[in-house]
Amino acid sequence: MIDYHALAPELLLAGTVLAVLTVDLLRVEKYWVAVVGLFGLFLSFIPVLTLGFCDTLTFCEDTGTRFLFGESYAVDSFSLVLKALFLGSAFVAVLLSVGYLESDRFWQGEFYFLMLSSVLGAVVMASSRDLVTIFVALELVTGPTFLMAGWRKGDPRSNEAMLKFFIIGVLSAALLLFGMSLVYGTTGELTFAGIRAEAAGIRGGDLEALFTVGVLFTLLGFAFKVSAVPFHFWTPDTYEGSPTPVTAYLSVVSKTAGFVGLLAICYLAFRDATFLWGPALWVLAAASMTVGNLAALRQTNIVRLLGYSSIAQGGFILVPFGAAVAAGVTDVQLEEAFFATVTYLLIYAFMNLGAFAVIIAGGNRLRSAEIGDWAGMFGYAPGLATMLAVFFFSLAGIPPLAGWFAKFVMFRAVLSVGGGWAAALAIIAAVNSVIAFVYYAKVVKSAFMDPAPEHVAVADLARMPTVPSLQFALVLTVAGVIVLGIFPGIIAEIGELTKTFASGF
Amino acid sequence: MVAVTAGDWFSTPENYVFLAIALPLVFAGWRVVTSSNVVHAVLYLVGALGGSAALFLLLGAEFVAWAVVLVYIGAVVVLFLFGIMITRAPIGVEVELSHPLRVRISAALVSGALFVLIAIAALTAFGSESIPEAEVTRTADIGQSIFERFVIPFEVVSVVLLAALVGGIVIARRDPSPEEIAAGKETL
Amino acid sequence: MTVTAGWYMALAASLFTIGAAGLLLRRNALVMFMSIELMLNSVNLTFVAAGRELGVLEGQLSVLFVMVVAAAEVTVGLAIIVAVFRNRATASVDELTGLRG
Repeated sequence: MIDYHALAPELLLAGTVLAVLTVDLLRVEKYWVAVVGLFGLFLSFIPVLTLGFCDTLTFCEDTGTRFLFGESYAVDSFSLVLKALFLGSAFVAVLLSVGYLESDRFWQGEFYFLMLSSVLGAVVMASSRDLVTIFVALELVTGPTFLMAGWRKGDPRSNEAMLKFFIIGVLSAALLLFGMSLVYGTTGELTFAGIRAEAAGIRGGDLEALFTVGVLFTLLGFAFKVSAVPFHFWTPDTYEGSPTPVTAYLSVVSKTAGFVGLLAICYLAFRDATFLWGPALWVLAAASMTVGNLAALRQTNIVRLLGYSSIAQGGFILVPFGAAVAAGVTDVQLEEAFFATVTYLLIYAFMNLGAFAVIIAGGNRLRSAEIGDWAGMFGYAPGLATMLAVFFFSLAGIPPLAGWFAKFVMFRAVLSVGGGWAAALAIIAAVNSVIAFVYYAKVVKSAFMDPAPEHVAVADLARMPTVPSLQFALVLTVAGVIVLGIFPGIIAEIGELTKTFASGF
Repeated sequence: MVAVTAGDWFSTPENYVFLAIALPLVFAGWRVVTSSNVVHAVLYLVGALGGSAALFLLLGAEFVAWAVVLVYIGAVVVLFLFGIMITRAPIGVEVELSHPLRVRISAALVSGALFVLIAIAALTAFGSESIPEAEVTRTADIGQSIFERFVIPFEVVSVVLLAALVGGIVIARRDPSPEEIAAGKETL
Repeated sequence: MTVTAGWYMALAASLFTIGAAGLLLRRNALVMFMSIELMLNSVNLTFVAAGRELGVLEGQLSVLFVMVVAAAEVTVGLAIIVAVFRNRATASVDELTGLRG
C-alpha cells in the first residue's frame, strides 16, 4: 500500500505541471497560466505542512520518518524543510518571471511548464535516498533549465549561455553517473543506507581503490552542479546570457538542489568516508570563496557580479562540509555542520532571490545591467535602492539582516570541530567575508551617494511603476530577510528538526 | 593484485570472444573522437554502440542489449544524422576541429593516466574472481522491479522526457514573424 | 579463468576517458555530444558488469534509466544546436565568443 499522504506534494505538483500545459492550450490570457502555476505551488505546500506538523494533527497518523519503496524514498523532517524551500523559492521565481515574460514576446506557457517540471525534480530530490532516484531527479531539475537559459532565442548571448550550460551539464551528469556506477559496483547497493553499511567493510580491502575513484567522481559531478571552483567557469557566462528570472532560478533552486544531493550523499551514503570527501570539499570550499570573491571585485555588470557572488556564497555553504577534514570528527560535530549548511541554504534562498528581484526591477527601468548606470538610484527610486541595500548587506552578512545568522552558524560549525585544518578554513572564510563586503558595499554606495549618469533620464524613471507581481516578490523576500535576521530562532528551530536526519537512522 | 596469469587467460575460448568485441569497440570509440569527418564519427558511434550491445548479450543482459540497439542505434544515431543535415555540417574533412598539438598531447596524457588508474583499481577489485555463470535475465523480472521498487524514478523520467519534448520543440521552432502574429495566423 | 567483471570495467574506463578527451578537445558541438554518448555508454557497461558480478537486477535497471535520460539529453541538445545554428550558421563552439570567459 502506497502512502499517498507522504507523496501528496509530488503528486499535486505533477498535477499542476499538467494543468499548466492544459491551460496553455485554452484561448485565455497567458497570465492565467502563471496564476495556475502559483496556485499549484501553494496547493503543494499544504501537504508539506500537514506532514511536518503530523504529530499535532488529529487526522494524521504520525509515523516518524516515512520510507517508501524499500528505503529508496524517505519523507523526513530534512526533506520536508527542503521541499518547503523549493516550493517557496519557485513561487518567487514564477512571480519574477511574470512581468519579464510579458514585457517581450516569449513562449510563456511552456516556460512555466518547464520551470514547474524542474521544481518537481527538486522536490523529488529532497526525498531521494538511492542513486538512481537522485540521478533521475537531478536530471529533471537541470534538463528544463538548459532550455530556459536559451529562452531569448533571437539573442546570440542567450544561445551561447544555453549551449555552454548544456555541455557542462551533460558532462557533469556523465561524471556523476560514472562515479555512481563504480560505487554501485563496489558496494552492490543503490540505497544510501545500504551503501553506508557496505562501505564500512570496504576499507583496507581490494575494493577500496575503486570505491575511492567512484566517490571522487560522484563529488566531481556535484561540484559542477553547485559551480564550485575550479568547475565554475560556465557560471558567469550562463548567468549573464540567460533571461534574468532564469538566472535567479538557477542560482537558487537549481544550485540548492545540487547541495541537497551533496548533503544526502555525503552525510548518508558516504558517512563513514569523511576522510575522502572532507579534504576534497575543504579544497573546493576554500577555492570557491577566494576565486569567486576576487573575481566579483572586478565586475562591472551587476548580473555577472551576482554570478561570481553566488560562486563565493557556494563556497561558504561548502565550508561546513570541509570541516569534516579533521580526523576523528564526531557525530555531534557532523550534525552541527549539517545544520549549518541547511540553515545557510534557507537564508541564501531569501536573500539571493531578493537581490535578483531588485535587479529585475531595476533592469526594467534602466534597460542596463552596468553598475555605473545604477548610480544615484536613491534619487529617483528610493524604495528600490533601499531594498538593494537590504539584500546586498544581507549577502555580506551584516546584522540584523538574515545573512549574519547564516555566517554565524557556519563559523560556529567549523570552529566547534577545531584542529588546524578547520581553523585555517575559518580564517579563509573570515578574510573572504571582508572582501565580499567591499564589492557589495561598492554597489550600494554607488546607488546611494553617486550622482546619476547623464544619459539616465531620471525624471522618466521616477514615474515608472514596478510590476505588481515583482512588488509581491520583493515584499516576500524583504520580509523574510528582515524577520529571519531579527528572530533567527525561527530558522534555528527549523534547522534543528533536520539534525536528527544527519545522525543517521 | 591481479591474479590472472597469461597462460590461464589465453587458454579460455570465451576470452577470445570478449577480445574480439572489445578491441574493435575501443577502436571505434577512438575513431568517434578523432574522425575529422562528422558523418564518419556517427558511423563509428554506431560501431561502438553495437559493440557494447554485443557485450551486454555476453553478460546475459538481453533486454538491455536490444534496448541499446533500438534506442541508441535506432533513434539517437538517426537524430545525430538529422542534426548534421540541419546544421549543414561540412560532410568532408574539417580542419578547424582540433586544438594545437601541445594541448592534444597533454590531454591524451591526462586521460591515459586516468584510464590506467581506473583500470588498475577495477582489476584489483574484480580481477581475481571469475564472473558468475551467465544467467539470462527475464524481461518480466525487469518489468516487475520497475513497477515496485523503481516507480518514482520511472515516473520522474517520464516527466523528463515530456519536458525535453515540449521544450525542445519551442527552442528549435522558428518563431512567427510580427506580421504573421498581426494577421492572427500564429500566436505565442 | 574467464574474463572477470574487472575487465569489463577497465574497458568501460577506456571508453569513458576517450569520450572525456574528445569532449575536451573537439570543437564541433555534434562531435561533443557523441563523446558524451560514448561516456554514458561506458557507464552502462559498468552498471551491467557490476550487476552481473553481484547477481542482481538493479544494474540493468539503472541502465534503462540512464538510457532514457540520455535520449532526452540528445533531444535537448539537438534542439539547442538548431536554435544556435539559426542565428550563427555554425556548429562550432569556438565561434561563440560573445560572452567573456
